[in-house]
Amino acid sequence: MVAIGIDLGTSNSCVAVARRGRVDVLPNAYGEHICPSVVHFAADGSTQVGQQAKSRAIHEPEHTIAAAKRLLGRYFFSEEVKKAKAVSSYQIVEGANHAVRIKVREQTLAIPEISAFVLREMKTIAEAQLGQPVTQAVITVPAYFNDNQRQATRDAGKIAGLEVLRLLNEPTAAALAYGFGKGLTQRVAVYDLGGGTFDISILEIGSDIFEVLSTCGDTFLGGEDFDDRVIDLLADEFAGRHKINLRQNRFALEKLKAAAEQAKRDLSIDDEARICIADVANDAEGNALQLERGLTRAEFANLVADLIQRTFKVCDEALQQANLTVRDLDGVILVGGPTRLPLIREAVSQYFQCEPKADVDPDQVVAMGAAIHAASLVGEEKDSCLLDVTPLSLRIGVAGGLAETVIDRNTPVPIEQTASFTTFKDFQKSVKIRVYQGESRVQEENELLGEFEFSGFKHARRGEVRIDVTFEIDTDGIVNVTARDPDTAQAASTQIHLSSGLTEEEIQAIVEKHQPAPAEPAAPAPLSAAEAIAALPRLAPRGPVAPLPESELLAAPLVAEATDLAADALDVLLPEADAGEDSELASPLPDDRDLAVVAPDVESKADDPGALFGAGVEFDLDVGAGEASEDLELAPADAGPLGNAAGDDGRTLAIGGEIDLETSDMDAPLDEEFAAGDVDLESLALDEGALDSLAALDDDIGGAVDTGVAADDEMALTRPRHATAAAGADAGGAEDGWFGDPGVDLSIEPGDDES
Amino acid sequence: MPQTSFAEIRTLAGILEELDYYQVLELAPDAPTSAIRAAYHRTSRRFHPDAHRDAPPELHHQVAQIAKRVAEAYSVLRDPRRRQVYDRQLEGDQARVRMPLAEAEAQADRQRRDQHEGRTPNGRRYFALAKADLSRGDRASAERNLKTALTFEPDNAIFRAFLQELLGRPAGAAR
Repeated sequence: MVAIGIDLGTSNSCVAVARRGRVDVLPNAYGEHICPSVVHFAADGSTQVGQQAKSRAIHEPEHTIAAAKRLLGRYFFSEEVKKAKAVSSYQIVEGANHAVRIKVREQTLAIPEISAFVLREMKTIAEAQLGQPVTQAVITVPAYFNDNQRQATRDAGKIAGLEVLRLLNEPTAAALAYGFGKGLTQRVAVYDLGGGTFDISILEIGSDIFEVLSTCGDTFLGGEDFDDRVIDLLADEFAGRHKINLRQNRFALEKLKAAAEQAKRDLSIDDEARICIADVANDAEGNALQLERGLTRAEFANLVADLIQRTFKVCDEALQQANLTVRDLDGVILVGGPTRLPLIREAVSQYFQCEPKADVDPDQVVAMGAAIHAASLVGEEKDSCLLDVTPLSLRIGVAGGLAETVIDRNTPVPIEQTASFTTFKDFQKSVKIRVYQGESRVQEENELLGEFEFSGFKHARRGEVRIDVTFEIDTDGIVNVTARDPDTAQAASTQIHLSSGLTEEEIQAIVEKHQPAPAEPAAPAPLSAAEAIAALPRLAPRGPVAPLPESELLAAPLVAEATDLAADALDVLLPEADAGEDSELASPLPDDRDLAVVAPDVESKADDPGALFGAGVEFDLDVGAGEASEDLELAPADAGPLGNAAGDDGRTLAIGGEIDLETSDMDAPLDEEFAAGDVDLESLALDEGALDSLAALDDDIGGAVDTGVAADDEMALTRPRHATAAAGADAGGAEDGWFGDPGVDLSIEPGDDES
Repeated sequence: MPQTSFAEIRTLAGILEELDYYQVLELAPDAPTSAIRAAYHRTSRRFHPDAHRDAPPELHHQVAQIAKRVAEAYSVLRDPRRRQVYDRQLEGDQARVRMPLAEAEAQADRQRRDQHEGRTPNGRRYFALAKADLSRGDRASAERNLKTALTFEPDNAIFRAFLQELLGRPAGAAR
């Protein structure tokens, strides 16, 4: 059985096969090795893919879909989709679960369906060339693709009737093609500037091993952005001269696009490109106007200089993540059409202080690497061990809109991590777990991979339930999250699968729709977002971004003022918890209960021994103004345990008789809700850290703290307190207990996971 | 890639929870940093899921478990800071063989900070006093305070280094 490698690109795609030690890029019937990733929907219901489709774009832009990969795995509300809507002639509409759909000739298609047309074309090319059916493929993705984008790519493969053996990162594939069978021992950078994405990977290549040391990228930066700059220049100049905005004319815009791309290509060879578009528009009298202009390399360089600089910023980051400098590298491999530009080659050689590897075809090397790996996976080719990393940090949403890191970016995959949580409310029935990918501590700034609800755990008081949440990233870079109650062994598992907007059933339906070939099926009626959410309550992503809880808006200045005295700060923070809860309950979506996974241990870089509670009592409390939001966010975190301490009816927590922390308001709204019988407050709390904190404070002031924690409450902790059990005062925390780090002595400090 | 027998996979998967990261990577606990990557490569060649696609399906899960643990071990041991935290954990009474990556990271940070300023209130206080003494040139008092700080944190390397420097330094040398 032969398995192929497919480079599914934003602008162009390519298919290759490795057999008997040879790698061949397969040409289509016209002898072309590179196929534009463009799909044209003709009036007669047929579709065309590739160069033919691309040439239709000028005449029928609204029926011709290009660069669909930019939309793959994106939410409708994302910046990228907004941008695409502005420049695309085809109709981009919103589908279920905030997914993106394309409306073309009365059909509404999911993005993976569009990509599947391209993949099917690749499969067809391979079958024609190889003279046998092909069902298995390795498909490449930008290394920086998140889980949503990877899932969507995989869905596209399924829809195209392919068994996707592996999603392989493009730079890794390129390195494999470069190093395969050469017996090299080298450390190389792969600079991959594609049509729509930029990736940089640093790899160590051995004779049979390819280890990715680090990978970074920008999924918003590619050759098409270079074209856009040229389009901008042409359109602006034209508008200045003729007072006609070419962008408002679909046909003119397509002509501009084609001309800009051609000019860019010409500049790879010549020092100056001629741009000439006849009949680009008509003036007021109906006379045809033409656009003519020369573009020199220097002009072009000026237009795109900042884009190129952006790629080097990403390179800096990748090198830093790998703990290397350019001098540690043996070379750089260029991948992607735009790297043919002399401008880029020069900038790259300057940055990496070496000439790029010459024996690599930037358009084909990725497909070749994919083919080599495909062959090795089906046993046709010698095995190479590919050790890749996850490009983005995996995070879990915690109370107050924060996202805590569970797995750092550039951690090797496959990997698995488990964290334990407990419930926030007595007799809580379910919890909601939200998983993110990204580098920000703020939830909204990360990509939401999905949320799922876990229920069926032990019916018990808060803190008595233990929920183990396991995060797994597999060799495809796809995220799996499972939750488990170790007591009841109840397991809820979900392969987080959201934003292609396609469920397994939908994919199946699409596959079937495409199976009995030409019979054009009726387009599925697009569901409104509301209908979709209603239909898929457990899988519905939260929406664009959760509105900022009012608490954040209100409290920030208060917290900022509280920098001097910890006592003040606590007074501020505690009522804040209340506000936080309110806003969480007042969540806009029906039935949308906020997750309140509470991370008690949030460590700060700034170590600022805070105010003193009387002599001999040391109390670390960082409430630096700059970190106001962090501190504030912690409020609910402490609210859990302190709420515990205070009891349901607002008893007073006394610390050494010196401060009274009135906690009555904090629990009130929750308890009211509880009393009303709606116990489904979807929240998790981890009170252990904070309880430990209280205990630590207790130690510090010689046992003078009356935490007010009833004995049985203390017993209710899910895990033994191991603050000082392990050797080395801070090396405590059971393996599952990192969230409730016991080593904190009531430090409220922002996390340091970015370091 | 060297073939790994199914029996070997089963056995290793069976005892995985008891193995520390050094055992997972087949490394000596004092292995130099340079040996860790080589060990990761060696172990990955044998247990990478790709190398066992042909194995019976029931082994796929076990291979994946091993591969994930290998990556985890590598993630901790390749980072000298994380490794230090992990080593301390291993030496502890409740020997835990695994360490969540985020915890390793946070603890490495905290350890670095604690080593500087002390992690107990008293350690910090007496260390601060000692530093104040030193800046005034009161070496005798600094020595007393450092020793006191060390009684609270006997394993604080920074405190110890300070004391050694103080004791070793010829009289009259200003800090």
